[in-house]
Amino acid sequence: MRSTRMLIVLAAVVLLVSGAVPAAAAVPYENYNYNYWRDAVPSPEAYLPSRSITGVSLGIGDFLEPTDLFATKEDGVYLLDTGNNRIVVMDRDWRLLSVIAGFEHDGKPDGFNKPEGMFVDSEGTIYVADTGNKRIVALKADGRLAGVIRDPQSDILPSGFEFVPIKLTVDRAKRVYAVTRGVFEGIVQFDSDGTFLGFVGTNRVRPNASDYAWRFLSTKAQRSQGVLFIPTEFSNVDIDAKGFIYATNIDPGSQTPVKRISPSGDDVLKRYGYFPVAGDVRYRLAGADGGPSKLIDIKVREGGTYSVLDSLRGRVFTYDEEGNLLYIFGGKGNQLGTFKLPAAVEAIGERMAVLDRARGRIVEFAPTRFGAAVNKATALHADGQDQAAVEAWREVLRLNGNYDVAYIGIGKSYLLEKRNKEAMHYFKLGMDRKDYSVAFKRYRREVMKAHFGQALSALLLVALAAAAAYVLRRYRIRRGSVSHEA
Amino acid sequence: MKHEWLRFPLHVMVRPFDGFWDLKYENKGRSGVAAAIVVLLILSVTVQKQLSGFLVNFNDPRYLNSIDELKYVLLPFLLWCLANWSVTTLLDGEGRLQEIAVVAAYSLLPLVVVYLPTTFLSNIMTNEETAFYYLLNSFAGLWFVWLLFVGTMTVHQYTAAKTIVTMLLTLIVMAVIVFLGMLVFSLIQQIIGFGYNIYYELIFRN
Repeated sequence: MRSTRMLIVLAAVVLLVSGAVPAAAAVPYENYNYNYWRDAVPSPEAYLPSRSITGVSLGIGDFLEPTDLFATKEDGVYLLDTGNNRIVVMDRDWRLLSVIAGFEHDGKPDGFNKPEGMFVDSEGTIYVADTGNKRIVALKADGRLAGVIRDPQSDILPSGFEFVPIKLTVDRAKRVYAVTRGVFEGIVQFDSDGTFLGFVGTNRVRPNASDYAWRFLSTKAQRSQGVLFIPTEFSNVDIDAKGFIYATNIDPGSQTPVKRISPSGDDVLKRYGYFPVAGDVRYRLAGADGGPSKLIDIKVREGGTYSVLDSLRGRVFTYDEEGNLLYIFGGKGNQLGTFKLPAAVEAIGERMAVLDRARGRIVEFAPTRFGAAVNKATALHADGQDQAAVEAWREVLRLNGNYDVAYIGIGKSYLLEKRNKEAMHYFKLGMDRKDYSVAFKRYRREVMKAHFGQALSALLLVALAAAAAYVLRRYRIRRGSVSHEA
Repeated sequence: MKHEWLRFPLHVMVRPFDGFWDLKYENKGRSGVAAAIVVLLILSVTVQKQLSGFLVNFNDPRYLNSIDELKYVLLPFLLWCLANWSVTTLLDGEGRLQEIAVVAAYSLLPLVVVYLPTTFLSNIMTNEETAFYYLLNSFAGLWFVWLLFVGTMTVHQYTAAKTIVTMLLTLIVMAVIVFLGMLVFSLIQQIIGFGYNIYYELIFRN
C-alpha cells in the first residue's frame, strides 16, 4: 500500500517535472457521483478551485466569521462580514468596490450587530438580517437606509415572541421571507412595507410508529419530561425567477431537506432522480463526519438547477430541475478547494464561490470542460432545446461514459424525434424505466403496424398446416385400422 | 399410456387430490421426474433473473450468480423435505421421505410452467402491463402453496387443520435446522482454530 502510494507520488513528480503533459490540477478531495445502484463512483471534476479571496488580499483586514455571500445578476458580489459588522461589496472579478460599515438611522449613525443573512434585489437594495439587533435592515444601493423591519405584530404570534432573523430572501413584489431563530411555524413573510403577513412552508412533524408506542406506554409525568415533537427550523432560503422559495432544513431524519415552496405554501420540488434530493446517499452512520448531509445553504442557478451546501462534509451538491444529482465538489480540509466550516454557496455566472466561515475566506471554483458541458446541456434541456442538448450530452459522455443523466437526456431528445428504438437504447443505458416504457410502447406499436400483414399470413399458414396435419393423421389412423382388420 | 412421465405431473397440477392419491397409492410418482422438475425450476429462476424484461428486472447484473440459485431453490427444497419428514414422523404422518420429496417437487411445477412464459412476456410489456407479470407470478406462487398443501395432506393422510399446523411447524423446524447447521459449522471452525493454535504453539516452542 505504502509503496504503491510512493510510486504514484513519484510518477506524479516525474510528470510534473518533465512537463511533457500539462498536469491536470489535482484537487484535495475525491471526485465522485452516485450511479443508479447507489454506489459512489469516481467522476471527472466538474469544478476546480481557481482562487481564494481573503480580507487581507482585498486590503481591508481579515474577515471575521463571515456568514453570507450574495452575487447579483449584474456585477456585484456582496459579502456579509459578520464578526466585523460590515458588508464588503466587490465586483465579479473580486475587486473591492466599497465597504458598508454603518448607515444613518433617524439622523443618528447606526450599525449592524452580528448580521447573519443578506439579500440584494435587482435594484441593488441590500436586505440584511441584522441578527444581533433583532431586525431586518434595507439599504439602498448608495448606502442610505430604505427601511427597517422589527417586532412583527399579529394575533397568531405567541406572546413573548422574539424576532431573530438569520437568513432572508426577497421576491419581485418586495415581500421579505425570513428564516428566524426559534420559530418552528415556518418562514416569516413580510409585506413590502414591513407588515407581518404570516408563515409559509411549515416543516411538518411526522412521528413514527415507535414514537406513538412510547407515547402510549409512558405516563403523563414521563410525557411532560420527554422531548417535544417540534418541527425543525429552516436553515436557509433562496428564491427563483418565478418567485418560488427554495428552502433547506437540517432535520436529520428528513427525506426532504430541500423544499421548493409555491406561493400557496406547498412543496413542489421535483424529485424524479434515483434518490432523494438530500446530499450524500451513502455515508457512515457514526463518527465525526457520519450521518446525513447537513444542508445549510441553497443557491438557485441558471436553467432550473440549484446547488446545496453540506456543512458536515463540506460538499456542494448540484441538482437539475428534475432532481437529478449532476455533480459534487468540495470537501473538508486545509487545502485550496476544501473548507473548515463552510457557510454559504454562491453562483457568479458560470463560476461558483463557497464562503469558509472559520477561515474567513472565499474559495472560487471554475467549471472544467466537463462541468461546463453538463451546465450547457442542462440549460438547453431546461430551455426545451433537446436536440441542441444532444450534442452537449455527447460531449459530457466523451468525458464521462458513466453519466446516466446524459443518456437519459439523449433518450428524451430521440423520443421527441420519434426515434423510438434508439431512445429505448439510451433510456436503458440511463436506467430510466419510466421513459423506457414510453419509448417501448411506441416502438412496439410501430413494429406491429409494420408487420401486421406478415403476422396474419404467418398465422394463416400455421392454421393451414395444423389442419393438414390433422386430416393426414385421421387418414392414417383409418387406413391403419383398416389394414389391421384385413 | 404414452408420455406418462409428462402427463402425470401436469395431471397432478390441475387435479391435485386425485393426482397425489395416485402418486402415493398407485405408485405413479417418479424420483427422476421430481429431480428434473427441481432442476428445471433452478434453470427457470436463473433465466428469469437474467432475461426478464428491463422494466421488471431490478437485479444488479454485477452481482447475479447462477450458483446462488442453488441456495435459493435447492437448499430450501431439501430443508423442507427433511424438516417435513422430521415433523410428520412424530405426528403420525404416513408419508415416507421419498414421497415427501416427490410431492414437494411435483408441487413446484406451476412455478416452472408460469415463470418461463412470463419471463418471455415481460420483454414485450410496457410499464402499465407489468402488473400482469407480477399477478401471474404471484398466482404461480399461490398455486404452488395450494399443491404443497394438498400433497402434504394426501401423503400423510391428515385433516386440513392438521396439515396447516404441520406445514407451519415444518417452517419452524427448517429455521432450527439452519440454526443447528450454522452452530455446527461455527463449532467446527473453532475446533480447527484450536488445533491450529496448538500446532503453532508447539512448533514455536523450540
